[in-house]
Amino acid sequence: MSGGETGVCLVGCGFIGLTHAERWRRIPGVRLVACVDLEKERAEFFREKYGFQESGNDLDRFISLDKVDIVDVCTPTYTHKDIVLKCLEHGKHVIVEKPISLKLSDAKEMIQKAERSGLKLMVAHVLRFWGEYVLAKRLITDGAIGEPSVARAYRQSPFPSWAWENWHDYLNKGGGVFVDMSIHDVDFLRWCLGEVEEVYAQGGTYVRRNASSHDYTHALLKFRNGAIAYVEGSWIMPEDYPFTTFLEVAGARGILQVDNQSTASVSLHSSGKVERFTPFERDGYYLELQAFLDSVIRDTPPPVSGEEGLRSLEVVLAALKSVLTREPVKLPLEADVIG
Amino acid sequence: MGKIRFAILSFAHIHAWSYARVLREIPETELVAIYDDSPERLRRAGETYGVKKLYNDVEKLFQANEVDAVIIASENSKHHALALAAAEAGKHMIVEKPIATSLRDADEMVLKAEKKRVKLQVAFVMRYHDSAVKAREIILSGAIGRVIAITATNHGKYPGLWFGDPVLAGGGAIMDHTVHVADLTRWYTGDEFSRVFCRVGRNIRRELKVEDNALLMCETRGGVKVSIDCSWSRPDTYPVWGDVYTGVFGEKGYLVLDAFKSNVSLVESGSPMTYQYYGPDADRNMILDFLNVIKTDGKPRASGHDGKQALEVALAAYESSRSGKPVSLPIKE
Repeated sequence: MSGGETGVCLVGCGFIGLTHAERWRRIPGVRLVACVDLEKERAEFFREKYGFQESGNDLDRFISLDKVDIVDVCTPTYTHKDIVLKCLEHGKHVIVEKPISLKLSDAKEMIQKAERSGLKLMVAHVLRFWGEYVLAKRLITDGAIGEPSVARAYRQSPFPSWAWENWHDYLNKGGGVFVDMSIHDVDFLRWCLGEVEEVYAQGGTYVRRNASSHDYTHALLKFRNGAIAYVEGSWIMPEDYPFTTFLEVAGARGILQVDNQSTASVSLHSSGKVERFTPFERDGYYLELQAFLDSVIRDTPPPVSGEEGLRSLEVVLAALKSVLTREPVKLPLEADVIG
Repeated sequence: MGKIRFAILSFAHIHAWSYARVLREIPETELVAIYDDSPERLRRAGETYGVKKLYNDVEKLFQANEVDAVIIASENSKHHALALAAAEAGKHMIVEKPIATSLRDADEMVLKAEKKRVKLQVAFVMRYHDSAVKAREIILSGAIGRVIAITATNHGKYPGLWFGDPVLAGGGAIMDHTVHVADLTRWYTGDEFSRVFCRVGRNIRRELKVEDNALLMCETRGGVKVSIDCSWSRPDTYPVWGDVYTGVFGEKGYLVLDAFKSNVSLVESGSPMTYQYYGPDADRNMILDFLNVIKTDGKPRASGHDGKQALEVALAAYESSRSGKPVSLPIKE
């Protein structure tokens, strides 16, 4: 941490990379050392736009720079393991986009490596920093609704067809809608309700006909404490359908509900389309990256550990297994689901 | 044709009060007699609707031969005996949902009504709710393409009364709230359920003897994935009684029915906010259609068979939650 600043290297200049770069740029005490992408032009575009000192496609060179303290891994899920291990090899703290990986064995390797090297590894489960979800968690923890019994969580959007080389089409690259997107809700529900004991899920490939991954999956989670939850992940929404989330948790003393459409504080109506925004200067992404930075500076455990990322991964993989076998799946999983 | 004379057989189910209101509102109907096995309820219902002919013995009601049709709104497990008596007496009937608490009871009711050539309509009021009629029309028009999945909820508060009695009600929230949305699914898709998985959560109200929350994951023969939340998960102070909601995912579009969304929010000083409903009157539509079925010797929009098919989903859910495995339909009792 030279000159009181913490050096950040961003790897992967896609959608989430852009989202993170825009936040890193605004967090005090951060030096944007380098941004890396397979496509040099893309990385150069990021350098210019966000003010990184250097850009390029030479991963090894940039992540080994002395002035880099933190590497933010924003690449497609199937590449996480190799990149994260490399970063740890070079002695860097790592924040990796969710899901931690597609394989339990890979996730464990990453966690062990970080532990052995005494480096921080955080998984970017951003709902743990997202306004309404943070408040919901606090209300639940404070006992506002009593012991939770039954929850519902939806996450709906058109297919992310903007992704690099359509990697979400492939089961062995993105894992499909539930692994990639519903892991947000699964991780949040685990945070609030504890560990999952059993998963039953249904789904399939409906709109992306040629994809090997599923574009719709809904699941019933049973928690160790006796609570149950319905989690729905949809990538089959029509074009222009606004990204929609919903959460409801009912307990012995009450119920809480929140969605991101009716609570938006800015609505843009244009040519038959409505877009809703809830802007915050310090939004979930900002707070997530800030929290990781703090844990690095203060040498405290990161707020979402690799282990947490692994456990949430295990639940979404159990859902995938249930869709494939049409049977309820008990946790822990005995083997990996995606080959 | 003179007025069609009705009896309501039991005011045990809270919907009976709304049906009585409708019978009074519609000019062609008259509520002439009431049967109830609770003397207190019988007196109160009689007083409320100015009905003089009050019976605590249903046989005597039928012997008096004063009515053309009946509405059965007793506790669930008592539908069977009342329906058999009504059919025996040659009376057309509307039976509150669920049609019965066992498939055998439901079968006997359907067969008896057929044999006696009387109409048996099940009170799946949602089929008569203008918004559900519209939703189905849109689905059948092909506007959302082939149906892929349906997310259904029928949430509520704990209804109290006998709804917590496992014998009288035949179960808890699963028995009470699965059938409406299971029926809507069948009605939207023209398809039958083929598989049901269910898990019951720890009770919200620990003192109840029946389950007050559960989630169902179902499949139809045509492969539609259906989730049902039948929970009584609304606290007493919730602004509205509950909901009937179906999110229908199609290959070309997404349709949401939130049938009781037409509300005015009201806050009265000293009380929590409530939602005051101003939407369609499904009970009235249902009874009007029943009159039409009688007059034209037509088929009820929701028949005894429909009642039985929806009941089977609820019963399969109980079996699945006991065994921990998905249950294939049709089930063997």
